[in-house]
Amino acid sequence: MRDGLNAANRGLPAVALVTEEFWPQGDFVASAFGMPGIPRVQLPHPVAGTGVENMRRVAEKVAAEVLAALEGSPR
Amino acid sequence: MSHTLRADSEFDAVEELHRLGCTDGLPVVVPTPSRVDRMVLAAGVDGDAALGTMGPLQGVCTVEKLAGAAVMAGCLPDHMPIVLAAARAVMEPEFDLTEMQATTFGTAPLIIVNGPARHLCGVAAGFGALGPGHRANASIGRALRLAMINIGGARPGSSDMTLLGHGGKFGQCMGEDEEHSPFTPLHASRGFDPEQSVVTVIGTEAPHSVAHQADADDPTSPTRLLDGLADSVCAHGTNNAWLGRGQAVVAITPEQTAELAAAGHDRQSIGEHIAARARTRDGRQSFASADDVLLVAAGGAGLYSFTFPTWCAGAHRNRAVSVVVDVGQACEVPWY
Repeated sequence: MRDGLNAANRGLPAVALVTEEFWPQGDFVASAFGMPGIPRVQLPHPVAGTGVENMRRVAEKVAAEVLAALEGSPR
Repeated sequence: MSHTLRADSEFDAVEELHRLGCTDGLPVVVPTPSRVDRMVLAAGVDGDAALGTMGPLQGVCTVEKLAGAAVMAGCLPDHMPIVLAAARAVMEPEFDLTEMQATTFGTAPLIIVNGPARHLCGVAAGFGALGPGHRANASIGRALRLAMINIGGARPGSSDMTLLGHGGKFGQCMGEDEEHSPFTPLHASRGFDPEQSVVTVIGTEAPHSVAHQADADDPTSPTRLLDGLADSVCAHGTNNAWLGRGQAVVAITPEQTAELAAAGHDRQSIGEHIAARARTRDGRQSFASADDVLLVAAGGAGLYSFTFPTWCAGAHRNRAVSVVVDVGQACEVPWY
């Protein structure tokens, strides 16, 4: 979340990828840093360690959403 | 009846309790007679009933005195049955309370709650279950500590000789996250009906963090996790490595219980792996059996699980004790 916020603050298109377990924390951090609308896309939890094939499937599933968020960012 | 003190205000009463050494250093709720009476009602047991003695003072732990500790700790009446069960547990001889209270080691009771009482009392088992922010966990753990101070007489530097102590000495209470666990609950593995509410209490060090990044493409990943847990719980300098033949708690978080279950592990095989690998400093097997590794599914989802080495001393080597939480005896007690 902080990386996404820092990029957006520099005027760079940014989207934060947040897993479902950490989604509430993502909302909290976005609000705490004054950017509640920072684009973010939810991933299943966990992603790390689930294997190359699974990570590829996750990436393919969210790719369009990530691109759409980037085109619209920063909100 | 317990001795009654008088003060002109709540503020003065708290200051007097601090002055008398009756607190854990933090402000307490003043245990007025009416508050204590209501907490006794919540226990569902006569206030004069003696539950046992608490060392090193060998003070008699009556329900009324324990209720006073629960009030001081900030408990709600619903928490009292768990406090009662935890107090009974630490007064069982196997717990070695008198020695544990007096040792130079840094050990504190860890209260693990299983069964429906977790939901009745709001005992947290997930993110930060042992940290600040969960009223039931904090109040129940603190109630036992205040009983150990005021009934058991444990005071730092004169009767409680812990060289440094640890944060868990203010209170350590958490639930097992049975709903997200692929394993048999802890209390069921210790011979209780899964539908019963049970506390399992053991004196432990503060939790040691064990980092593990799962890798689904690496078939050795689950074994690396188990090896890490075994090496942590018996790390150089722990009493499990120094003395051995004690017990320890291993709290495994949900991502890691899922990884182990997917690899075909269950509670028994995890305990066996850890018991087979964990060694004392002179190369002996530290745990006499897999049952001496108390596995608890708890905590939030992430990269870490946690081990709790123990003192491994006292006449019974500081063993875990499980006691049924009787939630059927109390009346509904109004509070504030």
